[in-house]
Amino acid sequence: MTRVQLAVGGALFCVAGLAVWAAQIGNLNPSPAKAKSYVAYDAEPQVVPAGKRSVLELRFQVVGGFHVNSHTPKSELLIPTQLAFDPAAAVNAEPVEYPAGTPYSSSFDPTEKLDVYSGAFAVKLPVTAAAGTHTLHGTLRYQACDHAACYPPKTLPVQIELVAK
Amino acid sequence: MKRSVLVFGVMVFGVALLLWAGWHNLRERRLAMQQAQANRVALVPGKGGQPDSSTAPESEAPTMRGKTAPGFTLVALDGKKVSLSDFKGRPVLVNFWATWCGPCKVEMPWFEEFHKQYAAQGFEILGLADDVDAGKDAIAKVAQKTGVTYPILLTDGKVQTAYGGLDYLPMSFYIDRRGVIVEETAGLGGKDEIEAHIKKTIASGAPAAAGGQ
Repeated sequence: MTRVQLAVGGALFCVAGLAVWAAQIGNLNPSPAKAKSYVAYDAEPQVVPAGKRSVLELRFQVVGGFHVNSHTPKSELLIPTQLAFDPAAAVNAEPVEYPAGTPYSSSFDPTEKLDVYSGAFAVKLPVTAAAGTHTLHGTLRYQACDHAACYPPKTLPVQIELVAK
Repeated sequence: MKRSVLVFGVMVFGVALLLWAGWHNLRERRLAMQQAQANRVALVPGKGGQPDSSTAPESEAPTMRGKTAPGFTLVALDGKKVSLSDFKGRPVLVNFWATWCGPCKVEMPWFEEFHKQYAAQGFEILGLADDVDAGKDAIAKVAQKTGVTYPILLTDGKVQTAYGGLDYLPMSFYIDRRGVIVEETAGLGGKDEIEAHIKKTIASGAPAAAGGQ
């Protein structure tokens, strides 16, 4: 290896190091105020055949230690999980299909049986889209609790990037 | 020769920089994880009969302990106006709850029991329904189902702010005879813990000589 090659190699290392360092500094600043969200949407680009009915699977994750009511809670007083989308041109979205919940009762009140989602859950959205790239905007409304406290109902923005070809 | 040493030094520096960046990244992630974990723990304050000062979500709800309880005038389920000042000189528990809050409904029958048990000491409970949008009927239905006979008041949005914003429910404020918040709890605690807070509230600010209680 010639000296020139060594010098070039060294310089490249330095540049790479500096770039990573700069990226780290960049990462430090935008640590936003803790968003009080108990459900996260696992946004994935969706590819479907154009003009054909396809069922999208939208994955959500309830933060560990929490649960949200399912779409069909056991009491009319409880707030169901609900996903709604704005109408989009060239995309025909059918009613959302929700998964069944799992039974839950707290140690404080074993008599009250709840029907909840916890951990990962997936909601199905049947769509028929014209060829092209589309964006669907929607919101997931949910109400979360842990074993000792409940949080006011929240809405989570859900955006789907849909490619039909 | 000298030059290659220099180049080698530069390379070592570059590698060191990369390692440092990696370590820094890991540390940041760990911190973020710890923070998330801490936030979770904070959601069940005062569980083991322990005062919840250390576990209260520090950034979300600054404690109101030791402060004068903010005054309010709200409409009760029966349509009457009820003010906190109506209970001046008496120990009062202000409990925020909602129809959609399961843990709230667990402790409401306990409150009712203690309400009766400590009535002779002037102890009063005010249940403030946080979800007025659920409708008066739904609120009344839950109150009835839980067997509550103490006043249920409909919140106005301002009272929640005055009491620190209420990030979650249930939230209870124990106000002594002088109108000072002596205890504040967030989330469902144990029944014994609630009774201990009530006793403390009754004892606090009591006239030392004249009381005899």
